[in-house]
Amino acid sequence: MSNVLSLNGVCKRFGGVVVADQITLDLKAGEILGLIGPNGAGKTSLFNLISGVFPADSGSIALQGRPLSRLPLYARARAGVARTWQHMRLFGSMSVLENLLVAPTDYPGESLWRLVTAGVSVRRAEQQARERAMHILERMKLSAIAGANVNDITFGQQKLVGLARALMSQGPLLLLDEPMAGVEGAAYETMRQIVREEAAAGRAVCVVEHNVSFIRDLCNSAVFMAQGRILERGDVATLLESKTLAELYFGQ
Amino acid sequence: MLDFQTLLQIFWTGLANSTYAVLLAAAFALVLKVVKVWNFAQAGLMGIAYYTMYLAIQKLGWPGYAALVLGAAAAIVAALAMEVFGLQTFRRRHSPPLTFFIFTLVLSELVQYVLAMVAGTEPVSLAATIMSASYIVGGVVVSEWDLKAIAVTVVLMALLFVVMKRTRHGQYMIAAADNPHLSRLYGVNVRRVYALTFVLAAVLIAVAMYLFGTRASMVPNTPLEMMLFAVIAALLGGMGNVFGAAVAAVFLGLLRAFSILVIPSAWQSLILYALLFITILFFPQGVRVARRARKKPAANSAAAGA
Amino acid sequence: MEYVASLLVLIGLYVILASSFNLIIGFGGLISIAHPIFFALGAYTVGVLSTQFGLHPVLSIVAGFVVAMLASFMLSLPSLRISGDYLLITSIGFQLGLLEIIKNLDFVGGASGLGGIPNVVQQHRSLVFAAVALGLAVAVVLGLRALVRGPYGRAIQAMRDDELAFVALGRNAMNIKITIFAVGSGLAGVAGGLYAYYYQYLTPDQFQILQSAMILTMVVVGGMGSVYGPVVGAVLLLLLPEAITFLNLPSSVMGPLQGLIFTSLVILFLFLRPQGLVPSSKRLSAGGGHE
Repeated sequence: MSNVLSLNGVCKRFGGVVVADQITLDLKAGEILGLIGPNGAGKTSLFNLISGVFPADSGSIALQGRPLSRLPLYARARAGVARTWQHMRLFGSMSVLENLLVAPTDYPGESLWRLVTAGVSVRRAEQQARERAMHILERMKLSAIAGANVNDITFGQQKLVGLARALMSQGPLLLLDEPMAGVEGAAYETMRQIVREEAAAGRAVCVVEHNVSFIRDLCNSAVFMAQGRILERGDVATLLESKTLAELYFGQ
Repeated sequence: MLDFQTLLQIFWTGLANSTYAVLLAAAFALVLKVVKVWNFAQAGLMGIAYYTMYLAIQKLGWPGYAALVLGAAAAIVAALAMEVFGLQTFRRRHSPPLTFFIFTLVLSELVQYVLAMVAGTEPVSLAATIMSASYIVGGVVVSEWDLKAIAVTVVLMALLFVVMKRTRHGQYMIAAADNPHLSRLYGVNVRRVYALTFVLAAVLIAVAMYLFGTRASMVPNTPLEMMLFAVIAALLGGMGNVFGAAVAAVFLGLLRAFSILVIPSAWQSLILYALLFITILFFPQGVRVARRARKKPAANSAAAGA
Repeated sequence: MEYVASLLVLIGLYVILASSFNLIIGFGGLISIAHPIFFALGAYTVGVLSTQFGLHPVLSIVAGFVVAMLASFMLSLPSLRISGDYLLITSIGFQLGLLEIIKNLDFVGGASGLGGIPNVVQQHRSLVFAAVALGLAVAVVLGLRALVRGPYGRAIQAMRDDELAFVALGRNAMNIKITIFAVGSGLAGVAGGLYAYYYQYLTPDQFQILQSAMILTMVVVGGMGSVYGPVVGAVLLLLLPEAITFLNLPSSVMGPLQGLIFTSLVILFLFLRPQGLVPSSKRLSAGGGHE
C-alpha cells in the first residue's frame, strides 16, 4: 500500500452534531495535504478521529495499511501518528528541551523495571534522545532557548516547539493543526521550511490552516470541508478559485 | 420458614429505614450536581446537625421541632462558612481538584475529632426512647416513626422537586449545573446559587439526622460510613441526578434489609463496599442508561472546535 | 535511650509511609485515601507468615511488599480504567471494606488482633530496629529522588501538565499511574512489615482512617511536590504529639486532640501555604493544570 493514511467512510456524531460524514481520504508519502474550511467544519475533529482522541462511529482508518480503529491513543502515536494541537499543549512546567525529551517511546526510561535493572542502557538512550532533540532544535534555530521554560519564550517559538516535539516521532504521518495561526516572520519561514523538508524526507503531512498563502505555498493538494463533509478535493489553485467554496467560506 | 408476612415486614422496615438515606443521598447528589464538588464535608455537616440537636433535646430540653430548626440552622451556617471561606477561595485560586478533596474530607475528620473531644465516644440518641407507638397492619408492625419518616421524606423530596423544576432559583441551579460560565453571562449569580444549594443540602441533612437520631443512636464517626452510603447512591443514580440518587438510596436500603436473610450480620457492612466496587465497575455513569452519557471533560474540550 | 530508639523507629516508618504516599498523590496526582490499608496488608502478611509459617523476616517483609502491590492492582486497575476521580471513591470503599474483612477473618485474629509475632532481634532490639527503619527510609527517599530527577520523573511531570498531549506522544499514561500506585503501595507494605515485627501485635484499629489523616497531613504540611517535604512532615508530626504529652491530658482526649491538631494543620496549610514547608524543586509543582 503506497498510502500512508487511508480513511474510508468515517463517520462521527456527538448527539445531534455530525462532525464527520462519510469521510474518505488518502494520503501518500511526501504529500502535503491542506485541510481548509470554515470554523466548525470538522477539521480538528478529523484529526482527533485519526489520532484517536475519540473513536469513529463507523468507517475505517488505516496507517500504511494497518487498521487503527482498535488502537487507543497512545498506541496510534507509537504506530506513527504524530500531531500538533490548536492550543499547543506544551508541558508548562518544563523547558523546551525537556518537552521534546518526553516524546520518545522506544525508551527504556519509561519502564520502571528497566530503569532499575538496566541503568546503563537507560543512560545511553537518554543521551541519544538528547542528541536527536538538539538536532531538531538546531534545524528550527531554537537551540539557544533549549533550556528556557516554555512559558518564557515567544508565541512563535512556542508554536515551533510544538512542531519540534511532534517531529521527535519518527512515524510516517504528521498532522498539523493550525501551525501558522498567529505566527509570522522568521518563525513562519522556519516552519514552512521544516514542513517541506519533512515531506521531502517521505512523511505524509496533513495541515489544517486558515492561512491561505501557507496552503498555496506548501500544499500539493487541498481538501475543503464543511459541516463534517468533504466538499471538494483537488489541487490548491483550482480549489481556492472555486466560487462556491469562496461563498461558503467567506460568506460565513 | 420464610413467609410472606416476614418478607413484607422486612420490606416495610427497610423502606422506612431508607428514608434518611434518601435525604442524605439527595443532599450529596445535589451538591455534586450543582457545585460540582464531592462534598466529603457532608459527614461533618451531619455530625454538627446531629450533636446540635442532641444538645437541644437532651441537655436543654427543647421540643423536637425546635431542636430540628436549630440543627438545620447549625448545618446551614457551617455549610455556608465552608462554601464562602473555603471553596470560594480555592475556586478563585484555581486550585486543583486535589485541594477540594483534601479540604472537604479533612473538614469532616476535624468535626469528628472535635465532637469526640466535646461529646465523648458514647453512643447518643436524640429520642428519650427509641420505641414509638406501633400498630399492626395486615400482620406487619408499622410504627409511628415509620409513618412519620416516610411522610416527611416524601414531602421534602416533592418540595425539592418543585423548587428545582418550578421556581426561578431552581432553574438557576440547573443552569449553573450545566454550564456555570454561560449562566454567569446570562446574569445568573452563580455564587448565590451555590450558597442556596448548600442551604438546601444542609436542611436535608438536618432532617435526615433528626429522623435517624429519633430511631437509633450514633457516635462521632458514624456519619462517615453513612456518607459512604450516600456516595454510592449518588453514583448509582447517575452523577447529575438528584432523584436518581434518591431512588438508588431506596433500592440500596431494601437490598441491605433483605440481605440479612442471606448474609450474617458481621459481614453486613461489606455489602456496601462490594456494591461500591460493582457500581464503579459496571455503572460508572449511573444506572440510568437513558441519560446522555457525561464523558470526561478532557475528551470533550479536545473535541470542541473545527 | 529506649524511648528515643522507638521514636526513631516510628520516624523511619512514617518517612517511608509519607514518601510513598507522596509518590502516589503528590507526584502521580492520584487521589486515594487507601494508603493505611496497604500498610495493614504488609503488616498482616508478615503477621501471618511469621506466626503460622515461621518464615524468615526478610522474606516475610518482601512478601508484604508483594501482597500490598498486588492488592493495589485490585484497586487501581478497575478504577483508573474509568477515570481518576473514581479512584478516590473506590479507595474509600477499598480501605473501609478490606478493614471490615480483616475484622471478620478469624485466621488473622479478627477484631481482637493478631499477636504473638516472634521477636526477630535478640540484642539491642530497639537500636537495631531504629537502624533498619531509618536505613530503609533513607533508601526510599534517595530512590524516589533518583526516580523523580530522571526520565521517569520527567514523564510523570509531563503527564500532570497535560495528559492528553502526553498520551498523544505515544506514552502509556495508564501504565505509569498503575506502576506508581503499585510501587507506593508496596513501599507502604514494607513499612507495615517492619511495624509488625517491632510491635509484635496488630489490631485493625491501628490502620484506620486516622492513619490516612496523619499521613496526608505529613505530606500536605511537608510539601507535596518535593522529595524531602514528606520527610520534614513526618518528623514534625511525630514530634508534635510528644510535645503535647507534657500537657498530661486523659487518653480519651489525647487521641481526638491529636487528630484535631493534624486536621487543623492541613486546613491551615491549604489556605496559607498550599505548597507545604519544603517548596518543590524547579521542575515539579503540585498543581498540574493546562490552559
